[in-house]
Formats: sequence, structure tokens, C-alpha cells
Amino acid sequence: MDALLLRSLQGYVRDTFGQPVWQAICRKALIKFETFEPMLRYDPGMADRVADCAAKVLGRSVDTVWEDMGTYLVTNPGHEGVRRLLRFGGLGFADFLHSLEEAPGRARLALPGLELPELSLTELGPDLFELTCQSSVRGMPRVLVGMVRAMADDYGALCLIDSDGGDRISVQVLDRAHGRGRRFDLAAPGLLQ
Amino acid sequence: MTGQVTPAGIDLDAAALARFMPMHLLLDAEGRVQSAGPTLARVLGGQSLIGARFEDLFQVRSPGGAVTVAEVLDKAGHRFRLVPRGKPVIGLRGLGQRLQGSGQVLLNLSFGIDLIAAVKEFALTDADFAATDLAMELLYLAEANAAVTHELRGLNLRLEGARLAAEDEALTDPLTGLRNRRAADLVLDRLCQARAPFGLMHLDLDFFKAVNDSLGHAAGDFVLETVGRILRQQVRAEDCAARIGGDEFVIILPGRAEPPMLQAIASRIIAGISQPLTFDGQQCRVSGSIGILRSQDLLDPDPARVLAASDRALYAAKHAGRGRAVSLAELVLQPVSDGQA
Repeated sequence: MDALLLRSLQGYVRDTFGQPVWQAICRKALIKFETFEPMLRYDPGMADRVADCAAKVLGRSVDTVWEDMGTYLVTNPGHEGVRRLLRFGGLGFADFLHSLEEAPGRARLALPGLELPELSLTELGPDLFELTCQSSVRGMPRVLVGMVRAMADDYGALCLIDSDGGDRISVQVLDRAHGRGRRFDLAAPGLLQ
Repeated sequence: MTGQVTPAGIDLDAAALARFMPMHLLLDAEGRVQSAGPTLARVLGGQSLIGARFEDLFQVRSPGGAVTVAEVLDKAGHRFRLVPRGKPVIGLRGLGQRLQGSGQVLLNLSFGIDLIAAVKEFALTDADFAATDLAMELLYLAEANAAVTHELRGLNLRLEGARLAAEDEALTDPLTGLRNRRAADLVLDRLCQARAPFGLMHLDLDFFKAVNDSLGHAAGDFVLETVGRILRQQVRAEDCAARIGGDEFVIILPGRAEPPMLQAIASRIIAGISQPLTFDGQQCRVSGSIGILRSQDLLDPDPARVLAASDRALYAAKHAGRGRAVSLAELVLQPVSDGQA
């Protein structure tokens, strides 16, 4: 999990703030290289450590860094695959939220050995959900907040999404069809070619 | 109520049947369509299906020889494969059953492995599949797999780049930027094994030790770097110029074995090296002796024999007064008395 997050953090910082900022973060984290490979393994805790350094270099809280990175993963055209895989969760935003519980199973099917956080969704009331995220990475719930916010936009739903500071995230759907949302074709362009 | 279960069987109305089996086909006893699931109707092009004959809608791929739905059920038992007429890219798998009493035939179809092509062709959404259908999982898996493969390909390219850089570094002499001893051995080995013609020059600097001793190692390094630059200017991309010892170099020229051409290159190198150099306000003068060899000078060239022979020519050049090039061919015609170097 650390590898995927580190690679994502690298992409987010480079695309948003430029290569020199990323280099400064790596120097601050006392890392001898500047490129993380998503398919390799890194020391547990490394993602949190690098994110702490990113927060210091960027002058914002580490929670904000993780949340913005989560949003970047879903909205950046270079990571269209992430949005698409999440959209397979269902027709509507509520279906999508429910599908998150299946995410670790789906991920293992695609890539054995990939450890996604354990997610569970509780329906507290009509249009009120609580998402619990258990991960070895401290910042993971914040990443999820950023991703779920971006996915709400993608589905055209108006929501209040907040973290309790720990591993619980509350999602309140104010309007399921607030915007038009983005189009989603089941068949990926380019697949089968 | 849209249906009921009785000891005699299950009674479902058309809406419930469409929901459970969006790709079903209900045929009357004569094989004419009575109702079709909405997804199948889309695949068959929205034409009026009611009353159409099974054999006009589908070509049977298996069981072989079957044309009508009755033949399909008789021959295959329950499983069969079809292709919709006019849409030969989409294969369909199916399961069928003749209903008791009415003699109607119920078929349930699925895309099988052509799912992705079908989703693309007919712009299907997850509403077009039953909730129990694994279509979404298959599509998800195909995309996740493509994403993982893409990442792995990227990783491979990056590792390959790093490997090439490391390999290049391992074959380069850091001081002169020329290739090193190991690289020269590899090139020579390859050429000898392929029995390819080549020319080789074995260069040793004259008076280098004197420069090193009197002006220091920095001056010596400066001279070596300069020689490296001169050699790089004189060779083509496919040639290999290597520093194989302290002030000892070889230049391997694949495909270049004409004596006048090799002589000319050697003379240009020696002329370049013999130009006076100024280092730190001090003049350093060196020169170079070269032994030239062509692969055809040896009966059975192998790297050790080639280098020993070129060393003999080099020794002859030193012996003849330095600052010159001697080729092994001349040496064989006019052997020097103490030619065993």
C-alpha cells in the first residue's frame, strides 16, 4: 500500500507544484532517490513519513495534502483508470459507496498481494453513511475523503463528507442528482484494440 | 404480484422474466419468438422480433448441423453456441429448455468472452445486465488487468533504462570517457567469434612517465583526457576506442582492414598526440607509438592472440624510434631481430 500511495504522492506533487518541490520533499525525507515504483515494496510507514515532509515543504497540514492527493487521483486525466475502476462500483453514488466494501476483494483479484485498506459502510439513515477505513497508513482515511469527494462530483451528487480525525468518515448526501455528473461508458476506449 | 411458485412450476410474467433474464428468448412450439429480454432485443438490432423464426435470427455454431431450435435442443441437450445473423463478431452462449405442457422453448443467452466487444458495440450499461451477472466483474477485471500490465510495462522500461545506464557505466573508463578494458575484450571476443574482419591499433604513449613524474598526476590525467578526446575524434560510432591500461589504448575498427586507411588514421592520431600541451602554465610533450593489426594477419584470431600480436607490432614501433605506427604485416615481411616482446 505504501508503494501505491508514494507513487501517487509523487505524481500529485510533480504535476501540481513541479519537480523541484518534489525533490525538496525527497531531500527533507532523507531519501536517496526521487522515483517511487508502484509495483515495488517500501518500508511500512514510509508513505506517512514522506507525506509529513510534503506538508512541511508545502506549508499545509498533512491531512490537506492527503485529501488533495485523493481528489487528484480521481480527477487527473492521467489517472483516468482510477476513476473508471471506481465507477464500476455502481450506477449511482449510493451504489458506489456500498461497493467500497468490495474494493479490497476486487483489488486482490486484479493484483494478488495488493493490500487495500479494509472498508466498511454503515447506513445510519436515509442518505447518511459512515465509512470506516482500517489501514496501516495513517493518512489513508484522508486520502479516502478526497477520493469520495471527487467521486460524488463525478456522479453529480451533492454531499458533505468529513473525517472524524480517526478512521471514520461521515458522508451525508444532500442531493443525489445535484449536477449532471460525468459520463461513464462501460467499455474503456482502447481496450480490445 | 408478478409471479408465483406452485408445485407444478414457476409462473413469471414478462416483466419479471425480463428482469431475471434480460437476454432470454421465449419461443412458441414452432420456434417463433413470443418475447425477448430487453438486452437481447438491443443486440438483435431493435427489429420487430415477435413472430420471427429462430433460424432467421441466429446461425448455430454448435451443435454442428443444427439449424432450428428443435434441432439445437435435440442434439445438444441444453448447451449451445450461436451467432446473431449480421453480427458475426458477437458470440452467444446459451441454455435452453422446452416447457412442459405448452411446448414453448425458453432460451437464456450470455455473451461469454465476447462481453467486452458486445458492451462496446451496443453501448451497454450495468442496467442491461441482471444483478447476479458477473459481467461487471469481468469488465472491471479486464480494465484492472490492463492498468496493471501498463504499470508493469512502465516499470520494465524504467528498469531497462537503469540497466543500460549501469552497463554503460561498467564499460566506460571514467577519466577519458573511452571504453575500458572489459568493453574492449567484449568487442574483440564478439568480432573473433563472428570471424568478422577488423583493424586494430594498439597505442602506447611515449614519455608519459616523464610527464607524470615531473609535473604530477594531475598533469598526467590531463594528458590522458586529451588523448581520449583525440581518439574519440578519430573513430566512428561503430568503432571501439578503449583505455586498457595506465597509458595504453586499443582502437578496434570493425570492417576496416585496408592497410593505407589504418596507416592514415594512426598517423593522424600520433600527430594529434604529439602536439605540445600546456597544463598549469607548464608544457607537457608526449607522443605515441602504435602497433597496427588486421584480423586477416592471424590464421585463427582470438582475443589473446590478437592482443599479443598487436603488442609485437607496438614493440617494433617503439624499437624503431617511437612516434610512429608499425603494422604486423610489415613485421612479418621484415622480422625484427628481437621481435619476441
